[in-house]
Amino acid sequence: MFERTQHRVCRYATALLRFSVTQRLLCAGLVGTLALGGMLILAQGLLGQAAAADGGTAEASREAFVTAQVADKVAVVDLATFKSVAEIEVSGKPAGIAMSPDGRWVYITTPEAKELVVIDADKRAVTRRVKLGDGPLGIAVHPVDGRIIVADWYDHQLTVVDPATFDVVGTVETGESPSGVAVTPDGGYIVSADRDSDEVSIIDAQTLKRVAAVKVGQRPFGITIDASGERAYTANVKSNDLSVVDLTSRKVIGTVPVGQRPYDVALAKGRAFVTDQYGGTVSVVDLQSFKVIKTIAVGEYPEGIATDRDGRHVYVACWEANTLERIDAVTLEVTKTVEVNDGPRAFGLFLR
Amino acid sequence: MLRCLALLLALTPAVLALPAAAHGPTRQKVTETVEINAPADKVWAVIGNFQDMSWHPAVTKTEGEGGNAEGAKRTLTLDGGGLIHESLLNYDADKKSLKYQITDVDVKVLPVNNYSSWLSVEEADGGKSVVTWKGAFYRGYMNNDPPPELNDEAAVKAVKGVYRGGLDNLKKLLEAGG
Repeated sequence: MFERTQHRVCRYATALLRFSVTQRLLCAGLVGTLALGGMLILAQGLLGQAAAADGGTAEASREAFVTAQVADKVAVVDLATFKSVAEIEVSGKPAGIAMSPDGRWVYITTPEAKELVVIDADKRAVTRRVKLGDGPLGIAVHPVDGRIIVADWYDHQLTVVDPATFDVVGTVETGESPSGVAVTPDGGYIVSADRDSDEVSIIDAQTLKRVAAVKVGQRPFGITIDASGERAYTANVKSNDLSVVDLTSRKVIGTVPVGQRPYDVALAKGRAFVTDQYGGTVSVVDLQSFKVIKTIAVGEYPEGIATDRDGRHVYVACWEANTLERIDAVTLEVTKTVEVNDGPRAFGLFLR
Repeated sequence: MLRCLALLLALTPAVLALPAAAHGPTRQKVTETVEINAPADKVWAVIGNFQDMSWHPAVTKTEGEGGNAEGAKRTLTLDGGGLIHESLLNYDADKKSLKYQITDVDVKVLPVNNYSSWLSVEEADGGKSVVTWKGAFYRGYMNNDPPPELNDEAAVKAVKGVYRGGLDNLKKLLEAGG
């Protein structure tokens, strides 16, 4: 809802820019009105999202797209019936995943083919493959303008791709081997977990300038930003903990020991859900006390984890067990499990 | 004709520069199993001791500390002198399953990185059991364009070899002693 509204406002703005100067002047009043209206809609959107994070009114996500890296496939799981309903062939060891703001397009990275792969979500079909750098892995989408941001493991940079033309429209240098990447909900900042320099980069999403590098734990991998855009959470593979980064002060405000070899993070109900690859568990961290309140046994080698739009469930892909599992964010139990194709990784936001 | 030859010469290096393995590392997965004509309890008594891997024909010595507790360590000495340092991640006697990782190994001994593994045994029909050995790991060379001895295929082949050799010998030992 939030993204769709913003998208529409954006299209209006782009259309208005095409008018002549005089027309634009004449339109100024209208623009002002629209901008004000847009802000109101935006505020409503933000309120809606805040409500959703508390299990409020947003409708639940319908589908999960799970990159199955060993099988060279993407599995589509219907979340209501919790059945795998489609398989899409994607060669090149698909790993990272993100969605367009309207959920129509799925973007996948294939580290082996070194490509960005575009899937039409409804048609379940690959529509485009774009060669991209030396090590594309982490991927995110700008929530307002839809730009695709790909972290390149070997080139130590983020590559920004236009979602209409698929041209590279910008790059920004990060620390070494950026893995996870995320964007604040207002579209202001991009963050990346720079694995081999133990840092989180904070990047201005418009100027593509790296405005800060925050030292975190050892070997940060997945990174997730909260709904308010105030904090980023990154899972440190080597130091077995979760770093909490305040995006305003640009400082680490908490470090929470979790299970073995933590990989990625999802947020729901005031808690962080961290996949522990070697533990075979999801560590649940209370975000007030910064303490683990439960360790949930899931399938072996859990990796990608994401929260349903309505904030009620968290979904986790288990690479060794070949499962997608549903965790109830309130009771903290695994309530459903479905078998998917070999090597599910789902590194990124894989729900729509 | 000359132009043809020039074109051919120009194209050749480009073709040669595209080996199948010219890509970043992706995690590899190996699963091997063996059916043994012995009950699961008896098999677990052998493989469930993290401090004794003498059932593997390539292992000449196991030294370690911490028994079967989480975090226990062991060093395997291989035939030929190579060393593998490992630690126990999880031990579940009820499920007859253990999980461990390699903490240090020279890629000349085993061409892998970030290796973790599961070893378990399940009851099968007729007093038999099935042992499953699974591994997750990256190849020996973590950058683009690995040499052939450190690529994905080499890593998978080496791990499969370790598992097959161990499981087949385990079957032989247990069925002979039965």
